[in-house]
Amino acid sequence: MTESRVHHKLSPKEIVLGILRWFLILFFAAYTLFPLIWLTISSLKTNFEFLALSPFALPAVPQWQNYANALSVAGLGRMLLNSVFVGLLATVFNVIVASMSAYCISRFRFNGRERIYTLFTAGILVPLNALMVPYFVIINKLGLYNTYGGMVLLYCAIGIPMSTFLIRGLMDSIPMDLEEAAYIDGCGFYGRFFHIILPLSRTGIVTAATFEFLTCWNEFVFANLIVSSEKLRTIQVGIRYFTNQFSTDYVSMYAAIVISIVPSILGYILFQEQIISGMTSGAVKG
Amino acid sequence: MKPTRSDRSALAAFMAPALIIMLVFFVIPVIYVVVVSVLKWNGISTATFTDIQNFAKLFKDKAFVRSVTNNVIWALVAGFIQVPLAMVMAIILSRKPAGWKFFRTVYFFPQVISGIALATLWRAIYNADTGLLNGLLRSIGLGDLARDWLGTVDTAFPAVLIYWVFYVGYYMVIMMADITTIDSSYYEAATIDGASDFQQAIYITIPLIKRTSLLTCVTLASVLGLRQFEQVYMLTNGGPANRTSTMVLYMYKKLQDTNYGMASASAVILIIVGVIFIVCIRALFNIGNDEVRAQKKMRRAVK
Repeated sequence: MTESRVHHKLSPKEIVLGILRWFLILFFAAYTLFPLIWLTISSLKTNFEFLALSPFALPAVPQWQNYANALSVAGLGRMLLNSVFVGLLATVFNVIVASMSAYCISRFRFNGRERIYTLFTAGILVPLNALMVPYFVIINKLGLYNTYGGMVLLYCAIGIPMSTFLIRGLMDSIPMDLEEAAYIDGCGFYGRFFHIILPLSRTGIVTAATFEFLTCWNEFVFANLIVSSEKLRTIQVGIRYFTNQFSTDYVSMYAAIVISIVPSILGYILFQEQIISGMTSGAVKG
Repeated sequence: MKPTRSDRSALAAFMAPALIIMLVFFVIPVIYVVVVSVLKWNGISTATFTDIQNFAKLFKDKAFVRSVTNNVIWALVAGFIQVPLAMVMAIILSRKPAGWKFFRTVYFFPQVISGIALATLWRAIYNADTGLLNGLLRSIGLGDLARDWLGTVDTAFPAVLIYWVFYVGYYMVIMMADITTIDSSYYEAATIDGASDFQQAIYITIPLIKRTSLLTCVTLASVLGLRQFEQVYMLTNGGPANRTSTMVLYMYKKLQDTNYGMASASAVILIIVGVIFIVCIRALFNIGNDEVRAQKKMRRAVK
């Protein structure tokens, strides 16, 4: 676009717009980054430096032991492991179930197919927080209150509409001819699924899995609702207790928050394309 | 493909897990909240039918009315301030200025950091004694303005609401994806006709995304505004004096009191308000829609 534009002298109006544009770009970037940088710098101060000196001063000596404190006092290691464990299991079950249903909806014309698909789409729009009460009751009735199983099941379940939607979108783009050829060659229902459709919809599955894992990783409401034991706490539930655990030790608390944020940011930078395509394709079509 | 006879049982087996999940975790829960909303029930004893008493009680409870008001304000601010800001940034970044990929990545950060971690960060920023905001005000000589932002009745809700408004990354990325699909020949023609970047944005980009990604984003932002929980739970727990309460927080507290009927009734109100918002936003975006106008004209003509 830019290259094709005709070059001409900038008018005052264009200069003002240009300045405004860069002001906005930098403002929004600073607005996001500055608090995170402040948090990180504060987490490396001593409590005296943090409380008594300017909030913008750098620490005289970076206090790495704040991080050691955060890890030992808050039991962060265990929480991070819980989050990874629950997130991975829920994601694996989620994409297996979603791939199976997406395969049926995408490749076969059967009775009620449209109605089932409408149900899935409606599932994406339901405000899940409103279903707090029934979820609490269901998990209790299944005897899964305060268990890993309860979290895995609930996380796997609430992600099904979105994952099915994302994987189906990719499966729809696989040409039918491929499958019909395989069918004529005597390849059955399962054979076509495992040998043709599944390998070809890899990117959709990866997008759905990334999206699901991120959702699990950041989920707080239900983890807080259906788990009470300290041993099962995920990192998000843990953050809630930091403020009490470190009532006066601000800098260690900030170290703990930094530790909880870093995996999200790293994961995002690694899987940026999948995360963005997962979050936007769902929104644009939904 | 039409399923063959042998495919049919396999098909049923493949659909079954997802269908059971949809039934247990989506269909039944929605029916559940509707049914329980008319009961007086603590989850253990026998439930008694109470007609619409729960709803009457809800609207007599100042805390609930405040929660609904807060959620409505939140949804409006998200849909009509946050999303337009995101749109401006989407238009700017889709012109691919220097470093646009870096900025896109940065703007999206708040979306991948959990709501609870962000709320904790902002609690530290708003802290009366050690917070970044007061430190910033003092250092530029506006120390008089420094206050306990979350503990003061007048500033608590604006403080909870405002920090979120400038996190535009999510909606910006959705609209950018849409803008990149616009045929570049539109812009080329406009440039030849001497239209400025600003005019091109007003007359080409915005009309073309209005009924697609812009509508999606306004809907999404409003609906998310109605679901707010983590932010208020972590920042203020609804205080001071219920000033920052939201419907979901109210529901959560009722559930903690094992008042299942009232909790479900507020869930029903939440779903209804959500549907009203979705319908109104769609109607709003259809004003000035030529197709709709033509249809109405036709209908009138038929009469």
